[in-house]
Amino acid sequence: MVFAGASPGGRRPASALVWVLPPAAMAVCAALAVTAVPAAARAAVAWCGVVATLMVTAAAAESRRRGRLIATLRERHGAQEDVLRRRLVEQEEETRRLARDLLPAAVARLQRGSMVDEVMKDIDHTPALDPDFESAHRALLRAVLETVRAEEDLRDAAQRAFVNIARRVQAIVHQQAQDLRELEDKHGADPEVFEDLLHIDHGNALVGRLADSIAVLGGSRPGRQWQKEVPLFNVLRGAMSRILEYQRVDLHSVADVAIVGPSVEPLIHALAELLDNATRYSPPKTRVHLTAIEVQSGIAIEIEDAGVGLSAEARRRTELVLAQASTGLDLNDLGETPRLGLAVVGRLALRYRFQISLRPSAYGGVRAVLVVPQDITCPTPAPGGAIARAAKLPPPKPVRRATPTPMPARAPKPAPDHPGFRQNTAGLPQRRRRMPVVTPPIRIDAEPPAAAPAADRPTAPVTPPVQPGMWLAAFHKGLSGESPDPDCTAVFDTTSHPSKHSDHSDPSNKDE
Amino acid sequence: MSGQGSGGPATPWDEGGPERLYTVSRGRAGRHDRTSVELVTLIVARTEPEPGMQPEIAAVLRMCQFPLSVAEISAYLVLPVSTVSVILAGLLKERRVEARAPVPAAVLPDTELLQAVMHGLQNL
Repeated sequence: MVFAGASPGGRRPASALVWVLPPAAMAVCAALAVTAVPAAARAAVAWCGVVATLMVTAAAAESRRRGRLIATLRERHGAQEDVLRRRLVEQEEETRRLARDLLPAAVARLQRGSMVDEVMKDIDHTPALDPDFESAHRALLRAVLETVRAEEDLRDAAQRAFVNIARRVQAIVHQQAQDLRELEDKHGADPEVFEDLLHIDHGNALVGRLADSIAVLGGSRPGRQWQKEVPLFNVLRGAMSRILEYQRVDLHSVADVAIVGPSVEPLIHALAELLDNATRYSPPKTRVHLTAIEVQSGIAIEIEDAGVGLSAEARRRTELVLAQASTGLDLNDLGETPRLGLAVVGRLALRYRFQISLRPSAYGGVRAVLVVPQDITCPTPAPGGAIARAAKLPPPKPVRRATPTPMPARAPKPAPDHPGFRQNTAGLPQRRRRMPVVTPPIRIDAEPPAAAPAADRPTAPVTPPVQPGMWLAAFHKGLSGESPDPDCTAVFDTTSHPSKHSDHSDPSNKDE
Repeated sequence: MSGQGSGGPATPWDEGGPERLYTVSRGRAGRHDRTSVELVTLIVARTEPEPGMQPEIAAVLRMCQFPLSVAEISAYLVLPVSTVSVILAGLLKERRVEARAPVPAAVLPDTELLQAVMHGLQNL
């Protein structure tokens, strides 16, 4: 019984022997004890030995049973552990994929304007995974996307609100600027009032710039629209008029070009922000130099200050801010003014393709160069810059005191019915009245658009007196048969052709 | 406001240039240097406008080849008198223009005297 119980069935002979050992040892001990004790006690000892041996055998059998149980359990457990470990690896992999690929891609799509459901539908699924686990993942993804969506919506709403408010402020500022300009015209004769008005006007322009900045950060255009091109000079002065310390800006040579209407305001705004930076971060006594020169790719506008300059680190950071400007309105940015300005410049540069670089200046400060692309420039209608509202200036006087000839010389075609002193139809020289002879060339050629007001200006009569001498001299020469003096050819060229003309045309007129 | 009407057919946005008046006069309003120039002072340019000049200054030099009063200059440039005065003060300092003072009122004969003469003549 002991042996049958102890036998492990051949699978584990060594351990089976181990189980046989204790009962066998017990039996041997019991037998030894029976032989050793006196005969009287022999029966009792034998009984005890038998009982003990049986007990030990039972215990050994039980232990063996349990041992086998443990072995099978361990085996099963190992297999299970393998399965679990494999599943864990898969899940980890899936989670990693979610974090690394799915989520960023989905958020990016969301930011481009897709709806949450669309994005969810397109996410491929992993069949190997436990459905519970996968659905949990999808739920998580959806929750995240919905949160992001809500956040985006909120930001959109905030942007719209900002732009809306900025627009209103801009409208008020613009109205205010117009009113102020009228007041300035009205009270322009009183320097004290005028100065105060200029002060308010300046403050108003600063408010306008802030409103423009907020509008730009909100993804909108800055301020007003210009219908026509504006000369670069006026654009630069416009930028100057929007910063606090415009008096420290020296406007140097400016290329004679104009900026096309739609790009005027962004350029003014970007320059104003750069100028503001330049004046803000340089000592108050120093000057800021503003120049604009033509380069191959357009117009380079340079702003050079004598401030502390940028360390390499600061420059890198600044350029980063300029480059990162594409992301939308960041409410945190609104708290920090300097960064606000650069972010605005960056956004404008991105949208209107201005190239901006910040370099150390020869003065020790920063030289900001903004390159305006060629295609938003055009030839200027007013070289040197236009004057604010002056549609018409008085005409330049046609005749300078000393140089009378060139003006009539440009006459393309004087009135044919004023042949001057030339011969009349009878072949005789005929003197005409002076005024009609002299005035027509002046009126016609010297300044075609604007001569009319000149005629009734008090100073206009100064014009003709230089002519008579020439006129008379030529007359005499004409009489004496000489060809006109080279000095006077200019004058008479203009009259001679038409006079020939009239020589021919007069008879024909008569014939008719 | 009502002055807008003078802007003509252009849209309400389209008026003037982008710069404000204080940049034209570089922040000065003429409170201090408006001593020699009055509305009726005649201004004559002594030099030609040069390229690279501020357009207002160039315009003043161009139009003052013949004497113009300050009031006229102001009207032509559509700039307030104070601004024009500041520009002119700068030009006077650089001797680019000269100012011809108007006939002072004191030099003109007294009106009462003239009237007395008139009456005397009538009484002859």
